[in-house]
Amino acid sequence: MWNIRYFLLVGLCVPTLAAIESFFEELSLRNLNDGKVASRFSFTTRLEGVSPRDPRTLGFDDEAQHYRVFPLALGQILREYGVSELHLTLNAGRWDYDRWGYPEEKGVGTGAELWAWMGDGAPMSIDNRWKGLRNALAGLFCASLGSMDELRTTAPSQAFPPEGRLPSVDLPHQLRHASLPSEHVCTENLTPFLKLLPCKSLSGIASLLNPHRLFDADWHGMGVHVLWGEEEGVEVRLAFQSVMDPLRYSLSMSRDWSFQSLFSRVINKTCPVAVSSRVTVALPQQDAIEIKPNPSIEGEAAFFDVATVAKPLNVGMHWQHNFQYPLGEPIPLTPLSVQRTLKGSSQDRGQLSLVIINHETTTVYARYLETMPWLVQFHLHTLQAQVKGITSGNIISNFTYVPAVPHSRPTTFEAMLSLPPRSTIHLTMDVTKAFLRYTEHQPDAQRGWDLPPAVITPVEPLNSRMYTAGLLVDLATPDFSMPYNVIIFTCSLMAFIFGSIFNLLTRKFVVVRLD
Amino acid sequence: MPPLRDLFFQRDAIRRSVIASYWLAIILALPLWWNTTTIYRLSLPSSRVEAIARNKLLLPISICLVTNDHSLPGKLHHHLVRSTDYWKVLDVHIFGDLDCSSLGEGVYRVAPGIGLPDLHGRTLLFPYQDEETLPALADALSSLIVPYSSLPDREHRVAQYSPRYRLAFSLLNEDASAGNVILNWDVKTAIHRHITPILRSLSMFHNFTIESQVQFYAPLAFSPQLLEDGSYGLTHENLMVFINSAEWTLSSSASNDPVLHFILFVPSADRKPLRILDADGNPSTSNSFLLPQWGGIVLHNPSNFDESNDASILQASFSAFSHQLLSLLGIPQLPSGIRDTASDSSIREWQLDALLRRRTLENAKGSQDTLKSIIKLVDQIENMPVGQDVKGDVEDALEELTKMYGSATSSLQQTFRHSALALGLASRAFFNPGMLALLYFPAEHKYAVYTPLFASAVIPLFVAALRELKAWRLQRKAAAATGVQN
Repeated sequence: MWNIRYFLLVGLCVPTLAAIESFFEELSLRNLNDGKVASRFSFTTRLEGVSPRDPRTLGFDDEAQHYRVFPLALGQILREYGVSELHLTLNAGRWDYDRWGYPEEKGVGTGAELWAWMGDGAPMSIDNRWKGLRNALAGLFCASLGSMDELRTTAPSQAFPPEGRLPSVDLPHQLRHASLPSEHVCTENLTPFLKLLPCKSLSGIASLLNPHRLFDADWHGMGVHVLWGEEEGVEVRLAFQSVMDPLRYSLSMSRDWSFQSLFSRVINKTCPVAVSSRVTVALPQQDAIEIKPNPSIEGEAAFFDVATVAKPLNVGMHWQHNFQYPLGEPIPLTPLSVQRTLKGSSQDRGQLSLVIINHETTTVYARYLETMPWLVQFHLHTLQAQVKGITSGNIISNFTYVPAVPHSRPTTFEAMLSLPPRSTIHLTMDVTKAFLRYTEHQPDAQRGWDLPPAVITPVEPLNSRMYTAGLLVDLATPDFSMPYNVIIFTCSLMAFIFGSIFNLLTRKFVVVRLD
Repeated sequence: MPPLRDLFFQRDAIRRSVIASYWLAIILALPLWWNTTTIYRLSLPSSRVEAIARNKLLLPISICLVTNDHSLPGKLHHHLVRSTDYWKVLDVHIFGDLDCSSLGEGVYRVAPGIGLPDLHGRTLLFPYQDEETLPALADALSSLIVPYSSLPDREHRVAQYSPRYRLAFSLLNEDASAGNVILNWDVKTAIHRHITPILRSLSMFHNFTIESQVQFYAPLAFSPQLLEDGSYGLTHENLMVFINSAEWTLSSSASNDPVLHFILFVPSADRKPLRILDADGNPSTSNSFLLPQWGGIVLHNPSNFDESNDASILQASFSAFSHQLLSLLGIPQLPSGIRDTASDSSIREWQLDALLRRRTLENAKGSQDTLKSIIKLVDQIENMPVGQDVKGDVEDALEELTKMYGSATSSLQQTFRHSALALGLASRAFFNPGMLALLYFPAEHKYAVYTPLFASAVIPLFVAALRELKAWRLQRKAAAATGVQN
C-alpha cells in the first residue's frame, strides 16, 4: 500500500521531460490498370522518447499522461493493457491482388482483424489483457470486436512478426490474433476514427474523408497501427484505403478524376499542427496525362505540399485518351495468385481447396496460415499438394498445427510452401463441418458462417502479405421455431408411454360372459 | 381356467400398491425437482442490516477554550448548537482550561488572539473576552467545524465520494485554423504548481490519476449571442449546454473511475471575445464556471498582442482550476473573517478535518442506504439469484460499518477509512452482475414447458387414485353392510 502511494507521489511530483509529439499526414493516389483509382490516407502521430508501458507496472497506478496531438483515448487503452504493438483493420470488399498489386497498407483481409503484441509479466494474464483490449477497442471504434473471443483468437508464430520493435525489457512478448470476417466497416466506425485525428475532418487532408463517398467505393478499409521504435518512440498510424471507380460516374469512358469527383470535397484549410502534409500522385507510365494544379515532380510521382499550395486545393488528373478495357487476361501484378474455396454440398463434410499460381520463373517460398474457428475442422492426413495433377510430396514443409477444440479453440495451421516456377499448385484437405448447439447459432443463422481469410506470406519480398477471400460455410441449421414443438412432441410421447404402462399396471381385467 | 380375480396381479392390494408407489415416487422426487429448479438465493443478513441502518453516526468533537471563566464553555455550547441544525450529527464537548496545552490529538484549541481571527494547526486564535463576542466566535467555529455548507448551491457541486478520481485537463480550441489560438501548453509545470499540492494534501481521501489533452477543433453546439460591443455572450442557458459531448472526445472508456474535467476553452477568432453573462444579460467579470459534479471550465480570449505570455495564461486558468477542484471535492471554505496568513493557500487542518467528517457521514449514510436497498431489492424480485460473493460483500460491509461505529469515538481517520471501505463493498454488492442472471426467465416460460408433460402424465394418476379410493370406500361400505346383515 505504502509502496503504491510513494510511487504515485513520485509520479506526481517530478515533471518528466515533455515528449516530443509530431503529426504527419499524407494522401497517396495511384491509377490502377482497370481504370480505378486507389487512394490511401495516412495519419501518423509520433510520441518520441516514450516507450510502451512496462507490463510489470500494470498493477500500479499509471503515471500522468499528457498528450497534445497523440489521441488520448487510444493512448489510455494502450497503457491500460500494456500493449507494445497493435494492428486493427476493418475492411469491406476483396482486394484484387492480380489487378491492383500489393496494397500500400498490408492489412486488407475482409472484415475485422486485430492483432497485438503484449509483453508478459503483468499481474493480469495476457489473455485477460487481450480481452480487455478487445472490449476497449470495440467501445472506441463502435465495432463488435468484443466477439473476437477465445473461439477466434489464435497465436500464429510466423505470419505476423512485429512491424516495429518490441521493447527489450527482458520479457517475452506474445502475439494474439483474431479476425472477424463478418464485421462490416461503416460510418459509425469512421466517426470515432476521425475523432482520433488532431484536426478531425475539419482541415487538412482529413477533410477529404467524406463517408458518403468512401463507403460507396468498390473497396474500402480503415486501419489503426501502433508501433514502437527506439528512435521514433510510439507511433500511431491511422490509415484509410479505398479503391474508387471514376469510370462508374463517367459517361464517356473517361478516367479523369479530381478530389471533387472522388470525394465530393476539396481541401480548404491546412491542419495547423501537421509537421508535413502532402499529397502524392503516382504518374502512369505510358499514357499522356495532365495534372492540375502544377505539382512538383520527383521520379514517377507528383507531390503537393498542402501547407504551401493555393487553396482550395482540388488535385485532378486529366487523361488524353479514353479508357479501353484491356482485352484478354490482365498480367498479374503479384508473383502469386491465390484462390481458396470450400467444396462439397453436404452439411457435414467438405473439402478445402487452395489454388496457388506462381507466375515467377523461380521457385517461390511462402508461408501459408489458416486460422479457422472450430466450425470447420481439418483432417490433416488428407492434406495433398498437386502440381499439374501429380501429387507432389515436397511442396509442404515445416508445418505447425494446433488442432481445434470444439466449442472453444480455433485451428491454427501454418506451413511453408515451396512453389515451383510457372506452375499451378492445388492444395486440398478434407474438412468436417461442426454441428452446433442450439444456443451457439448466430442471430442470422440461415446465412451461414463467414470464415476468416487465409494468409499467404511470401518470403520475398519481405513484409508482404496476401489475404485470400473469406469463405462462407453452411452448417446444419435447425428451424428455430422447433424447440417448443419438440418439447410438445416429446412430452406427448412421454405422456403416451407413461399412460400406457400405468394403465397396463393398474387395469382391472374382468371377464364378461356373453350369454 | 381360473377366475380372473384370482390372478396374482389382479389383486386389489397389488394394484393399490402400484398406484401408491407411483405417488410415492412423485412425492419423493418433489424435493429433488424443487432443489434443481430453484434459483440460488443465499439469505442476506437483513436483520443485522436493519439494526445497523437504524444507527446514526455521531462524531465527537472536543474543543478546549482558553479561559478562566468556567461559565464561558457552557454558554458557547449553547450558542453553537443554536446556530445550525447540522450540529445534530456532531457530539460537541467544550471545556475550559487555563492554557489548554497538554491535550490529546484531535482536540481543537480556541485561544484569545488580537486582530483578525487566525488559524495555527488545530488552534483558532480569536479575539474574545466576554459574552458579547461569543456569538461571533460561535459563528466562526461552526463554519470551521460543521461538515456541510449552509448554502445548498455549494452542496450540489460536490462530486460523490470515490476512492479514485481521474483528473482530465483539456485545452480546447474552438477553431485552430482561424488563427490566434493556443496550440501548446506547458501543462505539466502548471499542474505541478497548482494541482499537485492539493492532491498531496488530499492523498488520504482519494488516489488521483491525471491526464491532459489538446484539441484543435472543438466546436460549440450553439451560437453565442452577439452583444452590442461586438463581443459574444454566454447566457445561463448556454452554460448548461456548453459541453458538446458529441464532438469533444473528453474521456475514454479505459477505466471506470469517475472523471473530473477541467477545460480551458479558447473561442474561435471570429467569435471573440466570449464572455459569460449574468442574470441581467450584462457581461460578468468572471471567465470561469463550474458544472456541478462534472468539472470546471475556464474561457480564455487571447488578445492579438500578448500571445507569447503563455505562462501567465496558464497561471490564471490553473489557479481557477484549483479552486474548482477544491469545491468539487467538497473542501469547505474558510469563514470570511479568518486571516489568510499562509500565502500558498494550502488546505488547513480544520478544513481537512471538516472534510473527513463530511465524507465519513456521507459514506456511512450511503453504505447503509445501499445495504437497505439490496435487501429490499432481493425481497421484491423473487427471481433474483444471490450468490456467495454478494452475501460476502454484504457481510463485509456490515463488518466495516460495525468497526466504523466502534472507532467513531477514538479516531476520525479510522472511522473514515472504515466508512469508505463499507461504501465500496456495499456498492460492489449492489452492482454485482450475477444478480441479473435469471431476471429474464419468467415463470410463464417454465409453465409452458412443464404443463405439456406434467398435465398429461398426472391426470391418469389422479383419476386412478380417485377411482381406487372410491372403490375402496364402496368395498368398505359393502363389507359393513354385510357385517350388519350377518
